[in-house]
Amino acid sequence: MTQTTRILTVDDSPSMRALLNHALTTHGFEVAQAEDGLAALDWLALNEVDVVITDINMPRLDGFGLIERLREGSRHRDRPILVPTTESSDEKKARARAAGATGWIVKPFDAAKLVAAVRRVAH
Amino acid sequence: MFERRILGSLERPIERVTVMQGQALVSSDAAIEYSTVLGSCVASCLYDPEARVGGMNHFLLAEPPAGLAATTAIDEHYGVYLMELLVNQMLAMGARKARLRAHLYGGANVNRNMMRIGTANAEFAQAFLRREGIAVLREDLGGTNARRVDLRPASGQIRCRTVEDRLAPPVNPTTRPARASGDVELF
Repeated sequence: MTQTTRILTVDDSPSMRALLNHALTTHGFEVAQAEDGLAALDWLALNEVDVVITDINMPRLDGFGLIERLREGSRHRDRPILVPTTESSDEKKARARAAGATGWIVKPFDAAKLVAAVRRVAH
Repeated sequence: MFERRILGSLERPIERVTVMQGQALVSSDAAIEYSTVLGSCVASCLYDPEARVGGMNHFLLAEPPAGLAATTAIDEHYGVYLMELLVNQMLAMGARKARLRAHLYGGANVNRNMMRIGTANAEFAQAFLRREGIAVLREDLGGTNARRVDLRPASGQIRCRTVEDRLAPPVNPTTRPARASGDVELF
């Protein structure tokens, strides 16, 4: 029996959360959502997940901070973390990579490419 | 001579910058005025009165690309992206999302064949701001006339006037840039 891939999406924009939720649930993924990095850490403290998809620009704790916090502990050290972003600068991309992101997705995201990337990193 | 120098520093001439379709521009410069002419297109103006930062985008969303499930007749993915670009640039200039105030203009039915898409664009912008919790202070949408919108980003001062339809740019939908859209790079 194949287990459903569980994804946590982290974004402060309800519009973006709705688009991600629609793109992922229609492809059979189980999706939970958090509105910023701190809400994501709270959720992850109590729940299991296979892949994290996080925005960069968020209040309280941004995407860079979230990735760094997740990589600090052993539980999420190898967790795939994808970063869909409007940022086009190489400096921001390098920062995401240095923080420990698994992949970088250029917005506006393409649902088929996103789904393919999630399947690839989820193993 | 001295007097002229002081005047020169205090009263820099206003530089008028046209916001083109598909663009999102943000500034806190008191000598900048953003300007655009809209037919069926929609312009969203955002302002943070505390940070004194303002910005404007200008779009006409097309039908979604084939294969993309959508609940509306427009490319919502691209629309959310264009709105997010504007919001993110505002935040990068010191604005806070909770303080943002919006004005919406355009979406006129200047051409009978474009009626549905103009209305759909206006409804998209309204729905986006409602979902994001951004208050709309003023909107002037629909109707049959083209509009000219001028925004002073540093003060939030906005003027919207009806203009002759021939001044509005041709109504070709704002298309997604071909390069790198949705590309994934695994590290």
